Amino acid sequence: MSESEMSVALGYGGIVEDSPFGIESKKLVMWLFIVADAATFGALLFGYGYLRVGSPNWVRPFAFVPTILNGMVMTVVLLTSSLTMLAAVRAAQAGGGRRRESVRWLVVTAVLGIVFAALHLREWFNLFAEGWSPSTNPMGGSVLFGGTFFGITGLHLLHVLCGVVAMTVVALAFRRGRLDASHVETTGLYWHFVDLVWMFVFPLVYLMNAR
Amino acid sequence: MMESTPGPGMRSYVAVWLGLLLIVGAEVALTYARLPTGTLLAALLALALVEAGLGLMYFMHLRYERRTLFWSLIPALIFVFIMMNQFWSDAHRLRSLHQ
Repeated sequence: MSESEMSVALGYGGIVEDSPFGIESKKLVMWLFIVADAATFGALLFGYGYLRVGSPNWVRPFAFVPTILNGMVMTVVLLTSSLTMLAAVRAAQAGGGRRRESVRWLVVTAVLGIVFAALHLREWFNLFAEGWSPSTNPMGGSVLFGGTFFGITGLHLLHVLCGVVAMTVVALAFRRGRLDASHVETTGLYWHFVDLVWMFVFPLVYLMNAR
Repeated sequence: MMESTPGPGMRSYVAVWLGLLLIVGAEVALTYARLPTGTLLAALLALALVEAGLGLMYFMHLRYERRTLFWSLIPALIFVFIMMNQFWSDAHRLRSLHQ
């Protein structure tokens, strides 16, 4: 039943029109949020590029072991979590007895998100131990490296953690029947966006700073 | 009326996932191929855009949604990114000030 038909049935008249995009409102709002957040990350990455081009003493500190290798593992983990999220959405949309399966896939996705965050934080603490911070550079080059690196990866990490929390809430509510498959799908959209941002962060921030 | 938009099966998603992993491998290989910085940047950006396109179209299902959704969202975002890129000459000016 369309939103328009529903509003007529409930006696509101045809005051709610169908979406011209053919999707539910919450899905459209999630897309609008994704576009806005993409512009935010784009601005941050552009700012990093601008400061790098403008700094004659930019350093490239990342060795293959451990940083780049760790980054590769993080990328595989995040890409796999997108795949498990897709499995969760498909199971949710199939409905019926596959609700529990969907919840299991959501849990797996959340666990992979936590693994990503743990690997990321371990890398951060290793960098702190070497003398790196948002305002210090132990290699003697531009201190803007720390500011841009921790700023961009920190904002992405925050998105990952918020996604894990949201996914957990949705999984619990979906299991109890309070939310439906469209909520799982909308959460999935956000999670794929977080993965998509990493597809730019890893090459531009990690690989372009490889020794 | 809200349309259900059947997407690809899990096999297609796994194929896209494998493709994305291959692209990541290619990016790392290019990084250690001793390319000039500008060439490496262009190559990594191009591969990242391919990854983003695959993620958007298949994982985020945009390929199977109405075209109005795609044309309402993506061109505006591309315009924003193009406009951000008008300031590179100022970054070079900043570099020359420091030297």
